Amino acid sequence: MLAHSIIFYFFSFITIASSLMVIASKNTVHAVFFLILDFVSISSLFIMLGAEFLGMLTLIVYVGAVAVLFLFVVMMINVNFSELKSGFLEYIPFGLLIGLVILLELGMMIATWKYKPDFVVSNSIVNKTITNTESLGLVIYTDYIFFFQLSGFILLVAMIGAIVLTFRRKESLRRQDITTQVSRERTDSVELIEVKQSEGVKIND
Amino acid sequence: MENINFIYPEIFIAISILGLLMVGVFKTNSFNLVTKLTSFMFLITIPIVFLNSTVSMKLFSNNYIVDELSSFLKILILGSSAFALFFTDQYIKKNKLDKFEYPVLITTAILGMFVMVSSNNLIGLYLGIELQSLSLYVLASLNRDSTKSTEAGVKYFVLGALSSGLLLYGCSLVYGFTGSTNYYVIAENFSADNIALLFGLVFILIGLAFKISAVPFHMWTPDVYEGAPTSVTAFFALAPKVAGFGAIIRILYIAFGNVFDEWQSILIFISVASMILGAVAAIGQTNIKRLMAYSSISHMGYGLAGLATGINEGVTASVIYIFLYVVMNIGSFACILIMKRKDIYLENIRDLSGLSKNHPLVAFCLTVMLFSLAGIPPLAGFFAKFYIFMAVVKADLIILAVIGLVTSVISAFYYLRIIKIMYFDPEQEKFDPISSKGVKISLALSTLLILFYFLNPSILNFFVNLASKSVQ
Repeated sequence: MLAHSIIFYFFSFITIASSLMVIASKNTVHAVFFLILDFVSISSLFIMLGAEFLGMLTLIVYVGAVAVLFLFVVMMINVNFSELKSGFLEYIPFGLLIGLVILLELGMMIATWKYKPDFVVSNSIVNKTITNTESLGLVIYTDYIFFFQLSGFILLVAMIGAIVLTFRRKESLRRQDITTQVSRERTDSVELIEVKQSEGVKIND
Repeated sequence: MENINFIYPEIFIAISILGLLMVGVFKTNSFNLVTKLTSFMFLITIPIVFLNSTVSMKLFSNNYIVDELSSFLKILILGSSAFALFFTDQYIKKNKLDKFEYPVLITTAILGMFVMVSSNNLIGLYLGIELQSLSLYVLASLNRDSTKSTEAGVKYFVLGALSSGLLLYGCSLVYGFTGSTNYYVIAENFSADNIALLFGLVFILIGLAFKISAVPFHMWTPDVYEGAPTSVTAFFALAPKVAGFGAIIRILYIAFGNVFDEWQSILIFISVASMILGAVAAIGQTNIKRLMAYSSISHMGYGLAGLATGINEGVTASVIYIFLYVVMNIGSFACILIMKRKDIYLENIRDLSGLSKNHPLVAFCLTVMLFSLAGIPPLAGFFAKFYIFMAVVKADLIILAVIGLVTSVISAFYYLRIIKIMYFDPEQEKFDPISSKGVKISLALSTLLILFYFLNPSILNFFVNLASKSVQ
């Protein structure tokens, strides 16, 4: 159990320290790096609890979120891209440091995988006989179906809210209307007129 | 599946939300149509809720409860939201808020509130709160061209996210040490000796106190009430408070019912602080919406005082209080929506000067509302406070009752100041004639109810008694 405690405290320390650094560091790019470190440590803690599925989900979901966050950082700190690229080199040592810690964490996880039973806590919450996904699937569509559907509604509200607050219909904008485009016929736009000799054509206005 | 009829109201609302969205998307400028459909939907939902109002039913493995209390609060939520839509139609159109999403967002907020008052599970509580709050954040910043409105929305969102975080932290502590998110299992496994569990309890209470804007988690209230469009402010002051109260009653009396001694002192503190701050801070206000914000803070204090007693009478008194609070606020906000000169809505208390000469009837109605808010007999507000103090005294919390009496005297000052401005100050230009039927009807109905409540208080008390028994 000693090894378990050591690893647990190692990951917990990194989790807390990096989340503190997220709000303490003045450089926004550094903060995002620390955020990634934070997520990786949290997912390691999940894996130590025996919740592999949640751990992996944390990684997958937040990798996407962090990518969006990077976009935000680039948009918010109001620098042009050439400046950002010139500063890119400065971040390399820092990024390497964070990467090294993540590598260390992953290494620890893989190296100790053989001794997995010693490191994963056994308690009543995680059922060992079935896989994570199966145990989640057993309750999420039965006992918790109501709450599951409700979280869908929360996402719907988030979508409605985003649209209401940002969508502006510009009256001057000419929009493409596919139905009118497709239903347009030759007779609507072209008119054939018999031209009498030496009289010319009178154009209707 | 055989019990599915007990959540028909929720299912009906959920399907209506999707239907209303479809109508709004495929029909341009459909605000009027969607609003009418929404009001109609509220009217249909009330009898559906009423159908199940006399049973006590546990659904989804005890995670969701439909009983007298939840049905009573749901009807109150629906009724107050219907009024909030009904009397603000002209304001919404005048201020170009007539997007079809407006009534849809109110409906989603109501769905969240339904879950809040019925949930018997921490997950459900959190989801309900989030569904309600997200809709309210958007509603607060709906007038996106006004800096005040967007500021209100952002402020509300940031502080709301913080309080949700605290609530979730408390939930995770309680879940970790009791092994379940179900209120019944929590009640079984909750031991007062465990410090971490008490921390969890405190964090959950903080999160909920924020949602009903009780001191010391009230900072957002005046700014949000002032910044949000008046129609939205009226909604904020009505239904979310009812839902917050429902959630607090359920979690305190079911999940933490066994450790009453632990949370009583917290609730007494929150209640006393809300009453004092609400009474003192409102004195210097010049904006009537800010004044209503402080008034709602102090009223939440009185409501919580009833819950702090831990006896059946206390819960009953609180539910009666919240009901009458809603009625009084409908009337007051109807009056605020009348304050309009040359097609511009006014918010300053000074603008009411000399109202009694120009609009004697409106001045009379507002006077009734303010006297009732101050708790002057024989109006309904007096009875609401009276029941609370009776319960508080019965539970031997004499000091709480004394503080409540003193603060209600202090708060009478600022209510009376408005009445003095209306009756004794020099008259100003007339307000625009009231053309909205909704305002007239809401004002008339609430004034009548407040005026004549004393003739037969037992009708309401009978229903509330029935409701509050279900948590004991």
